[in-house]
Amino acid sequence: MSSIAAFGALESGLIFALVAFGVFFSFRILNFPDLTVDGSFPMGAAISAVLIVSGMNPWLATLAAFGGGMLAGIVTALMNVKLKILNLLASILTMIALYSINLRIMGKPNVALLGENTVLSPTDDWSIPYYTSTPIVFGVIVLVVFFILLWFLNSQPGLAMRATGANARMAASQGINTDRMIIIGMAVSNGLVAVAGSLFAQSAGSADITMGVGVIVIGLASVIGGEAVMSTKTIMLALLACIVGSILYRFAIALALNADFIGLKAQDLNLVTAVLVAFAIVAPRLKSNIMARIKA
Amino acid sequence: MIYLENIHVTFNAGTPLETRAVKGIDLTINEGEFVTVIGSNGSGKSTTLNTLSGDISASKGKVLIGDQDVTKWSVSKRAGLISRVFQDPLIGSCENLSIEENMALAWHRGQKFRFVSALNDKNREVFKKQLARLGLGLENRLGDKMGLLSGGQRQAISLLMSSLQPAKILLLDEHTAALDPKTAAFVLDLTNQIIQENKLTTLMVTHSMQQALEVGTRTIMLHEGKIVFDVSGDERKGLTVRDLLDLFKQNQQGQELSDDSLLLS
Repeated sequence: MSSIAAFGALESGLIFALVAFGVFFSFRILNFPDLTVDGSFPMGAAISAVLIVSGMNPWLATLAAFGGGMLAGIVTALMNVKLKILNLLASILTMIALYSINLRIMGKPNVALLGENTVLSPTDDWSIPYYTSTPIVFGVIVLVVFFILLWFLNSQPGLAMRATGANARMAASQGINTDRMIIIGMAVSNGLVAVAGSLFAQSAGSADITMGVGVIVIGLASVIGGEAVMSTKTIMLALLACIVGSILYRFAIALALNADFIGLKAQDLNLVTAVLVAFAIVAPRLKSNIMARIKA
Repeated sequence: MIYLENIHVTFNAGTPLETRAVKGIDLTINEGEFVTVIGSNGSGKSTTLNTLSGDISASKGKVLIGDQDVTKWSVSKRAGLISRVFQDPLIGSCENLSIEENMALAWHRGQKFRFVSALNDKNREVFKKQLARLGLGLENRLGDKMGLLSGGQRQAISLLMSSLQPAKILLLDEHTAALDPKTAAFVLDLTNQIIQENKLTTLMVTHSMQQALEVGTRTIMLHEGKIVFDVSGDERKGLTVRDLLDLFKQNQQGQELSDDSLLLS
């Protein structure tokens, strides 16, 4: 693997760490299987692309993407807690609806950002190549988000949110409004995913209506992969595992596609992803089976 | 004071499966009282407790806690007034959270959230002190996941948790039923201690007549959704399980109690 490819893997790994944080919030903290992300990722891209093209400050445009993603998450959560639609189904409905909404936002299937002023534009003046400066910018963003989430999840409302997902009945008996916690958590989750979509569009140079396909699988692969390679005993470790898992996933994909002797090509990406996810899910059990056999 | 006013609860109303679990219960619990509730399966004792906690909403009647009408309040809204220990130790605490995190949740029960760390030196100190009294060495395992503990340990912690914030009433829902006899005795003992220390008004549902007489200041028996008898004070002193059975027979025109589990446990 060339160093450019390695930095590329690091860059997308960092962007998708934000998706992993989002998926961690829905799947792990709230125990809410949420597929909205396949819609909120391109939504974030669409919102910020349109706003950037219209001349808005790229950071404000990214913030707007966060707001849009939050709205998407709130819609899914409301369908679940107020209308009592099964969580998975509610998220699929939002995801489908977002396809139309994203087309409406962009007015066309894609918006190009080439030559526009993005959050990465200031790095043009840096005396290092773009493929190292981009991961630095994204790395700083991921770190900032990491510390905010870490602080939140250990705060009073954050602990209440974790209790909501872990044991809703107990949470309610301790005075926690579980419906509200689900709504807030889903908003944060999809807001983060939308920010990832926004950053992805800004680094790739365009927002595209199809860019959300499979985002949930990548997010899950990152979360599960992270859990497979390291301990997630504390919230800090669990959040770190999201970052580690996301970067590892990108390197695994890059390795698989770059290793000529295997013969895999770019079109095999989704196949490799599916195999990796399946492996990451099975790996912990395989490990404990093997350990048990060694001890026995 | 707690009032249940003419409470009726009907499940699956209007369907062939319609069940009238509670048929007009009137109950006033005075401050400081420790009421034990017995009754066979289907007598409506758990339904009554759940109507008080808000898990089940009454089809008819009113629930008042102090001077507040809480009939339409959700479980979480009532939590500021009610603390509760569940029958199943797995429901009363979060296995994926640590001991101290579980206790921190109870520490904030019914309080407004503030964006500050849920755990701090001050409440950790309180948790340690509380855990130390159990004599199980749990005070050195604050960071351990709740799921690592046994049912009895979890139930004991649930009890400690229920007293971390003041409440108008403590609800105990057969909280020793899932434990082995030795652990059950330990938890019951702890229950008595905590209730006396904090002068808690308590409603305890139990399956055991023996237990219902052993603890508390007042005993109520439910049968088919109604209160059959209600004894307290001098009348209750010295009562035996045999007396309770006679009391039941008297009030039910000679009908015998057919639930063995009430007698055996």
